[in-house]
Amino acid sequence: MARQIPHTDVLITLMGAPHASDQVTTALRLTQSLLERGATVQVWTCGYATMLTQRSLGSDKPRNLADWNREYPSTAALVEELLTAWEGRLYWYGCRFCSDDRGAVDHLPQVVLRPPGGYAANVAAADKTLHLGGI
Amino acid sequence: MDGRVLAIVERGYRGALEKQFFDELYLATELHRQLGGLDILLRGSAVSYAVDAGPVPALRIGGRTVDTLTDPRKGLRVLLDLGVRVWVEEPDIAALGSPRPLIQGVALTRPGEIAEQWGDYRLVFFL
Repeated sequence: MARQIPHTDVLITLMGAPHASDQVTTALRLTQSLLERGATVQVWTCGYATMLTQRSLGSDKPRNLADWNREYPSTAALVEELLTAWEGRLYWYGCRFCSDDRGAVDHLPQVVLRPPGGYAANVAAADKTLHLGGI
Repeated sequence: MDGRVLAIVERGYRGALEKQFFDELYLATELHRQLGGLDILLRGSAVSYAVDAGPVPALRIGGRTVDTLTDPRKGLRVLLDLGVRVWVEEPDIAALGSPRPLIQGVALTRPGEIAEQWGDYRLVFFL
């Protein structure tokens, strides 16, 4: 039976790769702002953006040699923070093919991997879709 | 090793929330240390790194405040303090139209002026 996608006000489709531009920062800022204003949001990641929720780093980035004791949150920690803070109003999906294709196999438990062919169902479940970047 | 190395940075803003401290200027610091002396030329969108502006604001993510975003101006100041020479191409900085001054220690250069000096460098690369 096909998965039921919860309705949201906005779907943010993030295809732009991390570490290439400020699109990831923009997407997370936008997500936070929409949620603070009372909206419901779903995020769909494709391409290298699926790596954002990999658990391999744990909660922090590797240490900064120039500032050894400072903590720098991993993207997985930040996404988990969002999903915890806005539970029931934020959903996070990843493209299964893109994730598999990049060897990203250990996501946060709240991340739902979906087949690429299921993307239209997510678009249909949102009142508005915003698309950032390309793979 | 004799001779300085020239690093040209043309594309700015390659991630903030995911990159944090580990940006191209952090890499430049390590290259400066290992290669025995670095000069940097900022062109394109990277010229705004040289504008003397305040620190990068913190972001709210969920219930957390993230105050470790990439701060290229801080990175440039670290490099300048280490003796790295930093140039910024004049037409690109003028195109920004910013009324703010450049970070102290950054020098303006005309287009092609540094390219005329490539032969004096041991190594030239785009960072």
